[in-house]
Amino acid sequence: MWGKAKGSRKRELRIYFATDVHGSEVCFRKFLAAARVYEADVIILGGDFAGKAIVPVLTEGGMLRARVGGEEVTVPEAEWDRLAADLGKAGLYPVRMDTAELRRLSADEAALDRLFRSEIAAQMQRWCDLAAERLDPSVRCIITPGNDDPVDADAVLAAHGRVECPELELCDLGPVTMVSLGVVPTTPWNTERECTEEELGKQISEMLDQVPAGRPSIVNLHCPPYASGLDDAPELDTTLKPVIRGGRPSIIPVGSRAVREAIKRYQPVVGLHGHIHESRGAQKIGRTLCVNPGSDYSSGVLRGAVIDIAQDGSCLDFLLTTG
Amino acid sequence: MTSSSEASVPAGAARAGGTESTRLFVRQTSGLVRELGIPAATGISLASVAVVNTFINFNAGLTDFAKADMYLPLVAGAVIWLVAMFAYRYLLRAVPRAGGEYVYLSRIVSPVAGSVAGLGIAVVFTYVLSTNAHFAAQFTPFMLSGLGAAFHSTAVANAGNHLTSNIAIAWLSVVVMLIVAALSLFSVRIVARIIFWLIVLQVLAFVVLIGMLAFNSHADFVSALATYSNHPNAYGAIIAGAKANGVVFGTSIAAAVAIIPFMVLNYNGVLYSYYVGGELRRPGRTYLYASAISIGVLVVLWIGVWALLRARAGLTFMQAQANLGVINPTAYGKITSLSSVAGGLGYGMVLSGDPITKILFATAVPLAEIAVNLAFLTVTTRVLFAQAFDRLLPVRVADIGERNHAPNVAISIVVVVGIGFCFLTSLVNLGSIVALQSLFFALILLAGGVAATMLPLRRADLLTTPGMPDDARKKWLRNVALVGGATTVLALFTVYELVAHSSVYGKFQWESILTLVIVLGAGPVIYVIARAVRRQRNALDLNMAMRELPPE
Repeated sequence: MWGKAKGSRKRELRIYFATDVHGSEVCFRKFLAAARVYEADVIILGGDFAGKAIVPVLTEGGMLRARVGGEEVTVPEAEWDRLAADLGKAGLYPVRMDTAELRRLSADEAALDRLFRSEIAAQMQRWCDLAAERLDPSVRCIITPGNDDPVDADAVLAAHGRVECPELELCDLGPVTMVSLGVVPTTPWNTERECTEEELGKQISEMLDQVPAGRPSIVNLHCPPYASGLDDAPELDTTLKPVIRGGRPSIIPVGSRAVREAIKRYQPVVGLHGHIHESRGAQKIGRTLCVNPGSDYSSGVLRGAVIDIAQDGSCLDFLLTTG
Repeated sequence: MTSSSEASVPAGAARAGGTESTRLFVRQTSGLVRELGIPAATGISLASVAVVNTFINFNAGLTDFAKADMYLPLVAGAVIWLVAMFAYRYLLRAVPRAGGEYVYLSRIVSPVAGSVAGLGIAVVFTYVLSTNAHFAAQFTPFMLSGLGAAFHSTAVANAGNHLTSNIAIAWLSVVVMLIVAALSLFSVRIVARIIFWLIVLQVLAFVVLIGMLAFNSHADFVSALATYSNHPNAYGAIIAGAKANGVVFGTSIAAAVAIIPFMVLNYNGVLYSYYVGGELRRPGRTYLYASAISIGVLVVLWIGVWALLRARAGLTFMQAQANLGVINPTAYGKITSLSSVAGGLGYGMVLSGDPITKILFATAVPLAEIAVNLAFLTVTTRVLFAQAFDRLLPVRVADIGERNHAPNVAISIVVVVGIGFCFLTSLVNLGSIVALQSLFFALILLAGGVAATMLPLRRADLLTTPGMPDDARKKWLRNVALVGGATTVLALFTVYELVAHSSVYGKFQWESILTLVIVLGAGPVIYVIARAVRRQRNALDLNMAMRELPPE
């Protein structure tokens, strides 16, 4: 009932997988700590690492003023570090500025976009440095982008020596080969890494076709397979508001048909997914174990999955974690 | 993409909101704005309460306690939920996610406590499914009687008389469970539509009943009862029969206090918008308004209908009718064919002059129970899902059907266990079914109170606002602890009342104790077994799922 007896197969590789931390400093620190706590050989952050909002912090007469959670907060300038740390925990980017700069950013979308990109890149640089400082040298740290991550961030990841970013590449993990793709099918939000289902299917196939025959693989695809139970999200109307039926939000599958078809066709050992925060779970598609650990970054909680891989590349066991 | 718990802005480039000095810049990312406002959240709260179930609880209060009146219990029940509402507001603010007590306990108290609560709730909710099916089965004779009257069919009306034995009630409960199971196999979208229309029907029945009571006089009721019963003085005969059988009339404070747990159960569900905390816009505020409005609406509706029932039927008559039907059903049956458990809906049936309203009243309770069971089945399977993901239960429990996208295995488990409970509740003396249900829900409320009390002690970091001065922070945390403590005390009071009146609310016999032990012990037992089996198979240690990751 609790899984097949695994006989003489022994663990060769332990993966810790988390996703969708969206700029949360506390979640990223927990992600690094997970290597030690769960005794993982490889830790993988599967996309959507970038934060979503900048909190302008106005400097006026020795005081700092900002709007946090709908309420205005005023603290002495000396409290900057604490305020910035508190905001960073929730994935917000605090930026000190004066009223003139605030006005300029409000009127100049391009300047605001540049500011976002620079904040995200700076955060990624800090995170990579932190990984280098905290991780045991034997632990591999893989960070791949998701649809919400600006393409500029890839360069930061690629340039850093301690972190690997095998986006659109084959990655040898020992008993298995991993392929990664952060692109998702078109969303109503028109984010940076989107394409049609056909194009997505083509990109996945091109990568998986390169895996040598008979070699076990795992796929790190940000979007979960369609109608897998890992992709349930609120149904939206034309104004992007949740549809209410029977007094409750209507929930529908919003995953990718191309991802599902690829998994059915290639039958990788494991599918690592994210994208839909509330659809935490694990499902089998054929012989493939598909996992979406979900995300609860705004509460400072890191949801993840521990996956044990045997010497022959098969999946020994898995566990969804909350930390 | 992100969840509905996001605060991002859909479409368009990065943009700003708020006043000039305090705006927040949000970049273009996928995800929803929290869009469920107060009206939607209020709808969720009201939909989670079976409005017509109040007649079941009125009847239970009248039969289980002498000199029962409902004014004080209705108000006290509302006050208890009102205090709890503030405690859950803080919990929701700290953990603005779906999941309820399982999530709150696992985050704030300990992951193991969360798991125990999760399994307990799964068992309790499965039990509730069976008690709801049992209620629907008990109302079948009343339903057939009403439908017979509506369609002028004595065969249909009399059919109910053959469905009153324990074994008949047990099988009828099973039929209700199977109907619910069959409906649950449709997609979630269709199930939601079915629930919605079933709720519309029961609310319609309630509103029609209020109108009927408001527009008829006491004399009209007495006369209508005589006609309905084919007994010229049915009203007086019922009161006289009750007197002769020792029924005590009037009101007493002690009885009113003792009935409070029934009314706590009556309001259960009124705060359930916290279960969709991730979708609420400004969750703390929206939840607070939605819950307060819902409690207010229910207080007005239920106190209003109780006042109308007292004015039209009379308290003495209601006490006489409910008790005579239990103490001396033969004598009662000789006076009238009106079901003694139907309460207000029965009085509506008596006053009803047309077949449409008769059908409405006749089917209100069974349809309401099916609606509630559909909703509970969805929640229960979700709780089982969570346990399966944490490997406390077999992973297969979370399997999704290829065709219907429904959790067929989880549904099957809940229905099979629920059917087992149906036979137990019908054939075995478990004490008062309603009362055990009250005790379970009181314990869930207690769990919420404990989580709120522990919140400032264990996870103050989830509560405080960035930049909040230390003094304000301390005061704020103290308030949270006080509200949590008050909720815990009120929940304990409810538990005390249940235990103090165990002769009514579930005698502590071996059957009822065994049930309680199964419910409360299921979590730890399954945890220990699952962990041992996994250790034996050299699989990942379950403890790993419960480890806290250091944030620094």
